[in-house]
Amino acid sequence: MSFREKTAWITLITLVLASLLFVVHPPTDLTLAPDSDLFRFHVLLLSIATFVVIEIVAIVVVALRAPRDAKAPFDERERLITLKAKGLAWHALAWSSLGSVMITIHLGANEIGLAYCVLASFVFSLMVNYAARIVYYRRGA
Amino acid sequence: MTATAITNTIRKLRFERNEMTQQDLAERVGVTRQTINAIELGKYSPSLEVAFRIAAALGVRLEEVFSYDGGAPAPRGTAR
Repeated sequence: MSFREKTAWITLITLVLASLLFVVHPPTDLTLAPDSDLFRFHVLLLSIATFVVIEIVAIVVVALRAPRDAKAPFDERERLITLKAKGLAWHALAWSSLGSVMITIHLGANEIGLAYCVLASFVFSLMVNYAARIVYYRRGA
Repeated sequence: MTATAITNTIRKLRFERNEMTQQDLAERVGVTRQTINAIELGKYSPSLEVAFRIAAALGVRLEEVFSYDGGAPAPRGTAR
């Protein structure tokens, strides 16, 4: 498995873990009511911090184990894979953002709810991006 | 992805050249080992430039490395 395929796996798994942390495993800050916006914001910050820390540590470990692969520039196949995956991700972002806006309008959510939905769309598009990269790496291009 | 209509003899040519590894060839061509593997297995068709570089790295002409088995396309405007 190439360095870039490994980093795609790391990013995808970390994104899923951070998203799960935000959805199902909030911090136990007893001073805040679970339904408050501030509480959700703290969980969001914790999720982002978790994502950044795991991502950096995992990629540094992988890069240290294969420094030559990590330093190698993208070749044409890897550039093609990146381009194709980004194309899919843009579609995912556009449609899920539009869906978020429609859903929040119908549900009557406030600005904060809308912001979370758009953020979820962004995270979803990143997941699509890295999942597509993995599929293309497995298939050849 | 289905295999392309372009076939190649990279594997054979590598072994004829003192069992050159995919990594050695990749370094000479300037791509990753995984890309050489994908080309060898017919999962990826390289650009013309990389195809020429592979041929040069193996010391043969392009047509000795790659061949096209898809037949000629129908002329534009003709019914299939």
